[in-house]
Amino acid sequence: MDKVTTALRSLVQPLLAVIVGLAVGAIAIVIVGGSITETYAEMWRGAFGSFYFLTNTLTRATPIILIGLGVALAFRAGFFNMGSEGQMVLGALSAALTAIYMPGPGVVKMIAAIFAGVIAGGLWSAFAGWLDAKFRMNLLITTLLLNYIATYFAAYMVTYPFKDKTGSAAMSQTVMLGREAWLPKLFQGMTLHTGFLIAAVVTVLMFLFMKHTVKGYEIRMLGGNPLFASYGGIQRGKLMLASMFVSGGLAGLAGSIEVLGTQYRFIDGALTSPGYAWSGIMATLLAGSHPIGTAVAAILIAALQTGGMGMERNTDVPLEVSSIIQAVLILFVSAKLTYSFIKRKKAGAKNGRAL
Amino acid sequence: MDGLFDISLFASALRTVTPILLAALGGAICARVGLFNVGLEGMMLVGAFTAIVGNYLTGNIIVAVLFAMMCTLLYSLLFGYMSIHLKANVIIVGISLNFLALGLTTFSLRAIFDVKGAFYDKSMKGLPKWEIPVIKDIPYLGDILSGHSALVYLSILIVLGLQYFLFKTVTGFRLLAAGENPTAARSLGIKVSRIQYGAVLLCGVLCGLAGAQLSLGNVTMFTEGMTAGRGFIALVATMLGQSNPLGVAGASLLFGFMESLSIRLQGFALPTHFTMMVPYVVTIIAMFFFKDKSYMQEARKANESSR
Amino acid sequence: MLLQMDNITKTYGNVTANSDVSFDLRRGEIHAIIGENGAGKTTLMRILYGMETPTSGGIRLDGKPVSFHSPTDAIKHGIGMVHQHFMLFSSFTVAENIVIGREPSTPLGFDRKAAAEVTNELAKRYGMPVNPWAKVGECSLGVQQRVEILKVLYQGAEIIILDEPTGVLTPLEVKELLVAIKSLAAQGKSFIIISHKLQEIIEVADRITVLRDGKLTGTVQASETDEEQLSKLMVGRDLVTLTREKKQSGKPVLEVHSLTVRGDRAKPLLSDVSLQVNEGEIVGIAGISGNGQSELLQAISGLLKPDTGSVKLLGQNVTGAPVGDIRRGGLAHIPEDRYQWGVSKEADVLENGLMGHTERHQRFGLLRGSSIREMVSEWVERFGIKTGSLNTKAQYLSGGNLQKLIVARELAQGTPFLIAAEPTRGVDVGAMEIIHKELLQRRSDKGAILLVSSELTEVMKLSDRILVMFEGRIVGELMAETATEERISLLMAGGKNVG
Repeated sequence: MDKVTTALRSLVQPLLAVIVGLAVGAIAIVIVGGSITETYAEMWRGAFGSFYFLTNTLTRATPIILIGLGVALAFRAGFFNMGSEGQMVLGALSAALTAIYMPGPGVVKMIAAIFAGVIAGGLWSAFAGWLDAKFRMNLLITTLLLNYIATYFAAYMVTYPFKDKTGSAAMSQTVMLGREAWLPKLFQGMTLHTGFLIAAVVTVLMFLFMKHTVKGYEIRMLGGNPLFASYGGIQRGKLMLASMFVSGGLAGLAGSIEVLGTQYRFIDGALTSPGYAWSGIMATLLAGSHPIGTAVAAILIAALQTGGMGMERNTDVPLEVSSIIQAVLILFVSAKLTYSFIKRKKAGAKNGRAL
Repeated sequence: MDGLFDISLFASALRTVTPILLAALGGAICARVGLFNVGLEGMMLVGAFTAIVGNYLTGNIIVAVLFAMMCTLLYSLLFGYMSIHLKANVIIVGISLNFLALGLTTFSLRAIFDVKGAFYDKSMKGLPKWEIPVIKDIPYLGDILSGHSALVYLSILIVLGLQYFLFKTVTGFRLLAAGENPTAARSLGIKVSRIQYGAVLLCGVLCGLAGAQLSLGNVTMFTEGMTAGRGFIALVATMLGQSNPLGVAGASLLFGFMESLSIRLQGFALPTHFTMMVPYVVTIIAMFFFKDKSYMQEARKANESSR
Repeated sequence: MLLQMDNITKTYGNVTANSDVSFDLRRGEIHAIIGENGAGKTTLMRILYGMETPTSGGIRLDGKPVSFHSPTDAIKHGIGMVHQHFMLFSSFTVAENIVIGREPSTPLGFDRKAAAEVTNELAKRYGMPVNPWAKVGECSLGVQQRVEILKVLYQGAEIIILDEPTGVLTPLEVKELLVAIKSLAAQGKSFIIISHKLQEIIEVADRITVLRDGKLTGTVQASETDEEQLSKLMVGRDLVTLTREKKQSGKPVLEVHSLTVRGDRAKPLLSDVSLQVNEGEIVGIAGISGNGQSELLQAISGLLKPDTGSVKLLGQNVTGAPVGDIRRGGLAHIPEDRYQWGVSKEADVLENGLMGHTERHQRFGLLRGSSIREMVSEWVERFGIKTGSLNTKAQYLSGGNLQKLIVARELAQGTPFLIAAEPTRGVDVGAMEIIHKELLQRRSDKGAILLVSSELTEVMKLSDRILVMFEGRIVGELMAETATEERISLLMAGGKNVG
């Protein structure tokens, strides 16, 4: 009984949010003079309309899923890790440089690059955790500020020391990775690559980890009531560093996979301008930090974005409608709308009887 | 390094500090009633954009600023409704509002001006520069203090006004009470949520002004996400200044100075990437000296015995 | 009759908090309401103070019917309430706390000087001295209590409700308070006092009303009753008296040597505390809460690093070791505040029960769901924990049931040493008996227990030895056989140990 109602309640909220989000999107569409049905139809086609578009959406979803999972882990432990962007960028840069300069066969390069990415992202994130654990510096703010530092640093690296000087353009980017280090594509001629499988596996692992392991239990308790956790013998500092490391490591993994599977080099701004990191955080918020929910939400968000591009190609409605829908989604989910609605209704009934 | 620290550096510091200061004051008022407002960034962005819209549509700078204040006020109402009325997690509401602001402004940029990235129109006039009589004739000091937009001077008045309001008036006293112990305040018949709404709306107005200074004060243009983390720096200024208007002003000055310094440093042989990092690095270092509430205290508050 | 509450009934869903309760108050009278936790005293007073509306029944003031929808209404009608947990602003001054809501002002704003004058005047008139410029957070609890009463008087209260006014006070402060109440009553103020301290009530009250399970069981003249009669009216039956087996001396389990915790105040929170707990022994710590008991327990269990001194558990030095290591070394801990330390409200019964037991219910780091379920179901049955299911979130359990869950969890750790802090706070009589029985059982099984309780009766009932704490020190040690309530009370108040 208990389980069914909670399951239902957890479904009602995102559903309601989707409806409201689409409604607000519809208003935006009307404002710019588009047709609602036609626009949404184009959006659907752009996201899922054909096998090509579907795989395209999943490709876009891949880094969002990984980042979302990382953020979800930190949220569950009670830490607002807002630094995925910087963690991802540093991860991607490290992965690219490793893949370029590491000697050896392709597989070794690939694995080493992924490891380097995870470690770079993880360390950058754990650094913020360390600042909080050791000096009580507000994690939310430090992670945000560290984003700017990381992205400027990465930009500097590929503008000066590691700039690709072979190309004619003045782009800030590294040289292309050797073909042998690329993540293989899943289907001929499609963008989808093995990185998506990695993301899917990580999703399932994360779900099992949170639910069925001692460490997962400890993380959840730490997020629920840190005093209870410390009373029970869970060491906050250590667990914080570890969960921040994993959280940032997943962002780093997302960056590495983007480099190895899609872009094949590190290009300044190529990871930040699509807003992968923020989409990942959105996915986590939408799903209430549930691992599988986060992956689903990540695909939804990616679909909104690829659908938005399709919409822009074929109608006069600008792409930005999607970002409005996304923002409204989050807003409504975060407001615990149904929860307080139910509470207020109950309170109203009580007053009614009393009078 | 002679050319590094000159008069125009300090003058530009005063200019760049204003948006941060105004937003930080808004953050301080919210903090005083127990709402940690992470949404300053978004509110400021809305202010910056609507100021440009107002300016473009009416051509009247005063109307533009008032329009920005109005729009941000409405926007902050959303923050208040979510966090006070629906009791959603304030931090998450703040983050979401930042998303929403970014989405709304980029969308409207397309919908209204039909441009992507940035909007600039030569016909638009920025905020007028005020020459302050007497002061402008003082050597050095005059060059630093005079010739700024009205909002720069207004922000100084707001600092003093807020300081007086919080610590000398009855309403300010009740506002502090509502933040310090809401249960006790409620038991005395003080309308805590009304006070919280008031604080949030005031914060909205201040962020509107902050945004207007950003888009009209120096260069008259709007670019996507032009707040570039200033809202978060303002948040740090709020914390460093212990939510005390004078303290907040001091902290904001530090950050404003760092920002102008970073622009100035670009003239030297340093790569711009590093100079751009300066404000963020300094902010992190500044946080080192401000001890956040320990997680123990926070958890205790969140897990009070009464359910 | 100044105040009459007629046939008040209040139900929440299918729970009846008050059923047909009538109550009245004369001018200048002190009328006490007593009853166990959950008897409905607080609900009745919340109705009078406008914080709840009654399901049926009404209130009359001076014979005229009135209805209150908020505390503001009640205050307007001259009713004031001093809550059990003080409603004070600790960073504000005494004067600010008294005038808040009706601040004196000049055109320039809040007139703090006038507030101080008003405070001085009130203090003089009612004989309750305070320093108007002192920060409330730095005042003793006795002074804070005074500030609360002055605040209510400043608001113009004729009827003053005091909810458990003596719970946190030292005996000396209690005496002062009772004197002040009597003198205010002589000046025409009327009092309603909620309490469960029979002795004080008989001393100060004119009439006493007893509630049990939401129903009125009697109203008696204080001069014509005694503690025994009141207990019977309160509980409705004679309490089972537990018999403690004779104590056998065993090996030392816990040895604490000159433990000091400085804290950031001028006075150390804990200074030079030494104690020992042996096998098969319950050592009780008596004291007004806030005299260093929390710090002592936290230092022993590893939650707080002591500045000097040492803690030995089964001969192992565990001073400043991580909590987990100390727990594995043989400590279990029933925490003093269950919501702060004892549970995660968002987690369910199973998850809350698992804390500290993970090592026994895992294989290769994976949790074994069925064995956890088995363990917790057994507790639910043995302790009669009322819960919807094992997946019900802790926040939906009543305080008493949650306490039983925590006690079960900590007893099940099966450690040689157990800290039991306020083990029965806020639980009903039945649960209290179960918990006491379990603790004594643990004692006969050669367990060592350090009991901390602000209920003197509990300490005296269970302990073999009693230590008294005052201002961070142990000021006396008494054997159970020779301890009397009077001697302990005196020590608790900072008096010298005589004899």
